[in-house]
Amino acid sequence: MDGEKKLTARTLKYHLNTTLINTIAFSGIIILVILTSFIINESIPALTNVGAELFTSVYWYPTNSFDPEFGILAMLVGSLYITGLTALFVLPLGYIIAFFLFEYASASEVRVIKSAIDLLSGVPSVIIGAFMLVYVAPLSFKLNIYTPENILIASLGLTILSLPYTASLMQEAMQSVDRSLKEGALALGSTRLTAGFKVVSRAAISGILNAVILTVNRIIGETMVVLMVSGGAAIIPRSLFDPVKPLTATIASEMGEVATGSVHYSVLFFCGLILLVFSFLLTISARLIISKNKHV
Amino acid sequence: MRKVLLVLLMIAVALIGFAGTMAIKGSNTVFPVSQLWIEELKEMYPDIEITLEGAGSTTGFTALFNGTADIANTSRWIKDKELDRMNEEGKFFIPFVVGYDGIAIVVNKDNQLDNITVEQLKGIYTGKITRWSQLNPNLPNQPIIFYTRNTASGTYETFEGKILNGERMDPRARMVESTQLEIDSIAQNPYAIAYTGYGYVNDKVKVLTLEGIMPSIETILTSEYYLSRPLFMWVDATEGFPETGDVKRYITFGLSKRGQELVDQAGYVGAYGK
Repeated sequence: MDGEKKLTARTLKYHLNTTLINTIAFSGIIILVILTSFIINESIPALTNVGAELFTSVYWYPTNSFDPEFGILAMLVGSLYITGLTALFVLPLGYIIAFFLFEYASASEVRVIKSAIDLLSGVPSVIIGAFMLVYVAPLSFKLNIYTPENILIASLGLTILSLPYTASLMQEAMQSVDRSLKEGALALGSTRLTAGFKVVSRAAISGILNAVILTVNRIIGETMVVLMVSGGAAIIPRSLFDPVKPLTATIASEMGEVATGSVHYSVLFFCGLILLVFSFLLTISARLIISKNKHV
Repeated sequence: MRKVLLVLLMIAVALIGFAGTMAIKGSNTVFPVSQLWIEELKEMYPDIEITLEGAGSTTGFTALFNGTADIANTSRWIKDKELDRMNEEGKFFIPFVVGYDGIAIVVNKDNQLDNITVEQLKGIYTGKITRWSQLNPNLPNQPIIFYTRNTASGTYETFEGKILNGERMDPRARMVESTQLEIDSIAQNPYAIAYTGYGYVNDKVKVLTLEGIMPSIETILTSEYYLSRPLFMWVDATEGFPETGDVKRYITFGLSKRGQELVDQAGYVGAYGK
């Protein structure tokens, strides 16, 4: 009798614990599901009221009282343009830093560079945005560019922001490669450059590609820097020095003042949905690359 | 029994406490006026609780409809849409004019231009005039970089209504997140132009005359200056005129001599006592 009672208390405790742990473990999934369904739900009116114009029109006049138009094409192009350009800057830089850390740096150099990278990754994006706006953007006047907030400045800001992230991820990828590969290559007479570039990087390719995708994912969703220095003009850019208005900046700038439940409000959520889809696709492809190359 | 009474008392106190919080929402333009008023009101009535939020005139009206604000600050008159909604819901909002704001057209200090016409301004903002030399052959052959405010701001709406006249603003218009930033950009950029509330103009930029008239207290109050607009505070009077209470105290203070001085201090022009 006594023993049975003890057992019930124990089972009860066990069940309580597992339920608690499961709930907490699943809360991430639950939040994701709620968030996604909320965003989809809010963006449905945009699709039914505006429809194809969302993607075919480059004109963004959400508050025009005479003839509102909700074309997000220009902003989508702006987002992709800035993301592409930043990736062009940050990926080679990140790779070079990772390569140097892995291949050439002495222990003390690694320590200094690593801690600098860690510190840089802790700088809030608003600080980087303010720095670009106040100190870097005005330099463009010296080059006869009279839109000081433009694609190039925004991309440079995003490069500073994402460089530590990219470099750390790539370094981790290279470090995960078995030492024997590098040593073997060196023993066979290859230079350090060849060993690092042709042997180790090739073995670490899935990790490096993963770093590329995660970096792109991070850049496309970044808001603060682009809100401050991308220029805020919803046009299709023709040059590096044109202002643009990326999707994230549009949401941040307009969500606070939009009338809840209006078409404009719904279109802003639709912009969010597009960003979410991008992020989803990028994450999935990162997963695919890793699982595909697992046997290497 | 005593306990029950105590609980009831506590609930009553809590309710009165909540009821005592007055919420003001709306135009970013009127925001500094409310801010100054509240500071002085709190010294006069230490028990008064006021929350203030600047999020655009439209948001102010929405909040007044939802009952999440007691006062809506707006820098424009009520729209037909809002008027219809008021009638539908059987509500009645009353406006108080608290001051006037002139929208100044500003350029860089090095710019040789002194006057601009409404037609030229419209040309610039609709993208038909793109170079300074098109305004005047003596001006440099450089692109005009034109700034605008957030589309939900009252300043934007007034500008859209008075200058663009139904036409669309050119998408190349640069949108910046704050008026201060706009002024700073103009101060640095020799080929930029912007419109901004008279209250934000400082000596870092040059103010243009519009159709030959300089924005000043006199020209703004009489609307002789074209881009002049009254600033409103709207109160829900569905249940009758608010003769007592915090809202009334706030409005009465605002329209007093001191309150109007504070409107001037915020950079606008007080509506009364000039």
